[in-house]
Amino acid sequence: MNSDFKELKRTWESSKKSMEPSTANFDSLYKKIKSKEKENYFFYYGTITILLTTLIVISLFFYYVAPVQEILSRIGAGLMISGLIFRIFIEIISIQKAKQINILDSTLKTAENSFQFHQFRKIIHQVIAPIIIVLYTVGFYMITPEFSVYMKFWNVVLIDISYVVIGIILFFIIRKGIKEEMQKLTDIVKLKNEITE
Amino acid sequence: MRKSKNEPFEKIYRHHHPMVLQMCLGFVKGDKDTANDLAQEIFISVWSHLDTFRGASSYKTWIYRITVNTCLNYVKKESKKRTLSTLEIENQTANVATEKTIDDQIPKLYNAIGQLKKIDRLIIMMVLENQDYESISEVIGINPINVRVKIHRIKKRLEKILKNDIDE
Repeated sequence: MNSDFKELKRTWESSKKSMEPSTANFDSLYKKIKSKEKENYFFYYGTITILLTTLIVISLFFYYVAPVQEILSRIGAGLMISGLIFRIFIEIISIQKAKQINILDSTLKTAENSFQFHQFRKIIHQVIAPIIIVLYTVGFYMITPEFSVYMKFWNVVLIDISYVVIGIILFFIIRKGIKEEMQKLTDIVKLKNEITE
Repeated sequence: MRKSKNEPFEKIYRHHHPMVLQMCLGFVKGDKDTANDLAQEIFISVWSHLDTFRGASSYKTWIYRITVNTCLNYVKKESKKRTLSTLEIENQTANVATEKTIDDQIPKLYNAIGQLKKIDRLIIMMVLENQDYESISEVIGINPINVRVKIHRIKKRLEKILKNDIDE
């Protein structure tokens, strides 16, 4: 193969000429655009919708179904609810950071914004999520004594055990999240170095 | 979906699709399916951002930015997928060539470009597209002098890869 660069340019150009699009199917493309828009909407607002729903359900539960009376229980319920509110607040910041990644920026700026976003996500997984889980757990076990007055002993034990199981599952989900963010960060740092070297 | 947006979009698509598709092919070593997916992703972004185009740069530079960022982002998402063996790449690139062009040099060129670093692939393809240092520096975000040095290095590396290809 002729390695002369001008020859490469000619090869490139002649190959492009043969790539003229056949009649583009815009209807199918517009359908994909619509589905992509939905996907993006879920990417931004999926987590926050789940968190808000959980918050509403828990609040309604404590207000209508099981209005706890004792101070300890009320503090517990407060911890659970405030943990969720805090998590929602963090998610709003995360959405703002995600929106700063603009595909129209230069590659270097996009890489920098992506780095900041994923670093923030790493902090969420590594620090904020465990703190919220601890708050939630402490709150949950503060409510348990009052619940045990109205529930059968084995039911309370069952709830406590299931909570531990959920805790283990959450541990693995968070660990997976951290690993993914670490990988993304490594990739972005590598890209940034390649751009600036 | 606004109809008023469709007309300019379709015009851009018809005009720039060959360039975008070829850059995608070069980026993914001639893997036709991946390149088509990638090109589609790029035009979805073009459509989404069409309202924000202010004319500060040309449509071409604007599309290069979307193309480069989407390609790099696509790799991040797709990095866990299987990588194609050299044989598969040669077969696939050969298919593209048979379908679209009689030139048998292009699969080798895609393969050679694919051996460069990801960002270098995109830079050299912009050079092949006759973009000047200013436009490339605008897309990448580094100054034109650094772009020039970089391009010099990439050309040498590409030449070496192609030379080894001939020797083999």
